[in-house]
Amino acid sequence: MTALFKYDENNKIQRWIRSILIVIASLTIFVAIWWFLSLTLNFNTVPTPGETFDALISFIQNGDPETGRSAWDYLESSLSTFVKGFLLAAIVAVPFGLLLGFVKPLRELASPMIEVLRPIAPIAWAPIFIYTPALSYAWGPALVVFMGIFFPVLTNTMFGVTRIDSGWIDASKTLGANSTQIFTKVVFPASVPYILNGIKVGLGVGWMCIVAAELYAPPLGGIGFFLTTCATNGQWPSVYAGLIIIAILGLLTTGLAEQISKRVSKRMGME
Amino acid sequence: MDSMPSLNMPIDEEEDIEMPLPEGIVHSPLSFEDAQISIVNLSKSYRTDDSETVAIQDFTLDIKKGELISIIGPSGCGKTTVLRMIAGLMPPTSGKILIDGRECTGPGPDRGMVFQDFALFPWRSVIQNVEFSLEVAGVPKEERRQRAERYLDAVGLLEFKDHRIHELSGGMKQRVGIARALVNKPDVVLMDEPFGALDAQTRNIMQVELLKVLAKTDQTIIFVTHSVDEAVFLSDRIVILTKRPAKIKEALEIQWPHPRDRASADFTYLRKRILKQLEKENVLD
Repeated sequence: MTALFKYDENNKIQRWIRSILIVIASLTIFVAIWWFLSLTLNFNTVPTPGETFDALISFIQNGDPETGRSAWDYLESSLSTFVKGFLLAAIVAVPFGLLLGFVKPLRELASPMIEVLRPIAPIAWAPIFIYTPALSYAWGPALVVFMGIFFPVLTNTMFGVTRIDSGWIDASKTLGANSTQIFTKVVFPASVPYILNGIKVGLGVGWMCIVAAELYAPPLGGIGFFLTTCATNGQWPSVYAGLIIIAILGLLTTGLAEQISKRVSKRMGME
Repeated sequence: MDSMPSLNMPIDEEEDIEMPLPEGIVHSPLSFEDAQISIVNLSKSYRTDDSETVAIQDFTLDIKKGELISIIGPSGCGKTTVLRMIAGLMPPTSGKILIDGRECTGPGPDRGMVFQDFALFPWRSVIQNVEFSLEVAGVPKEERRQRAERYLDAVGLLEFKDHRIHELSGGMKQRVGIARALVNKPDVVLMDEPFGALDAQTRNIMQVELLKVLAKTDQTIIFVTHSVDEAVFLSDRIVILTKRPAKIKEALEIQWPHPRDRASADFTYLRKRILKQLEKENVLD
């Protein structure tokens, strides 16, 4: 155990091995607790990790025997909802965040609205969006994801703009930049690290929204739908397999966003 | 060289008045005919809910084209405020600033500025920082690259042109700051304690380098500093301010040629004389 804590901080390979060991140790303990709980509780809603693993492999290899759809079919549906919601949120939230951050009166006017809407759990919007005929299944679940991603991106972008070093603005003014140029050549680049951070946070929230939104949208047939049908049929190991897929995808997207955000900030000299 | 008077020394007012000016130093008028910049009755006060702080009061000063004028005063006296008002980054409460007879109301590329904390854009490379003013003025790409390279060469940073700002030392950063402020040939360059963030040795080197770069131009430089040594080394004229509200205590013209010897008797003596005046501002309340 102590080997985990004693290491040479300057040795890249040791650092790397150590972080992998920590992840393995953590997940092993997690699986052990899960195993213990499933055996002691003996609920059919808590399958053992082994049963879940078998279900996961079977789902990936053979798909869903009930519907004949492959794992990829389910995933594709969830991902397309997610991407729609994410792109929409980024396209709307970034320009709005920049504008509200840059123009103080607008920010003052908008802040109470944002503060009223922000605490509402995105999933609370699901029935409203999905039962609105114009949105329905095509846009309803995507808009739930949108609500989850929109606010973190908006508030982080706004915060980034208000935190811009006033020296940069002063410098650009004495160098002859007009308001538009200050906005495009100083405010926007200076906010990029904050925007990326907002996207990183938003992606995490977005993943939490997707499954819940799909519970209201059976015709879409996403992972959320898979979970509900398996639960109704009592196939609990498959439900857990679905959860694992969601967890892995969530980790991959936020991990990717984290890497992009780190690299861009470093490249821009703004760590 | 090491003849700095102790700041705790009791001040003898009589001695101060009697300290004569060394050769080559004369009292300078605050107003004259052929001024490029006229600062007329400039005042600045800050108002909070229940009090008003007067930072600058009735500040009047004419500045000649092509001179390097230092503004020196006790810390917190409002030197930087004067500079920021000339830059147009801050509106005066009353009074006005005329440049070639035109009243200046906002910032513009005719007045370049060099900042104490450099204020360089970290997301741009060294040369892209220098090109900024040319870029916003719509100068074609090839021309602005050539002009930026010329100024980077002048400050000795041509080989670092593609580096990122965070890869540079403090002294190198301020060389970029100076090149950036000079590249679009502003009429006036405002320098706000430009070497204040640098160590003493780098500071001395930068002063020598600055004079070399400026020798090739006819730009007017308004230089704010709290270093008497720096002001005496660089300036054609030194304006000494009182504590808040800042007024002009004395203006001295330094006719000595460059390079100046910091260790010479006259240099040391003048520095001591100015320090004494500042000391009085700091100590007496």
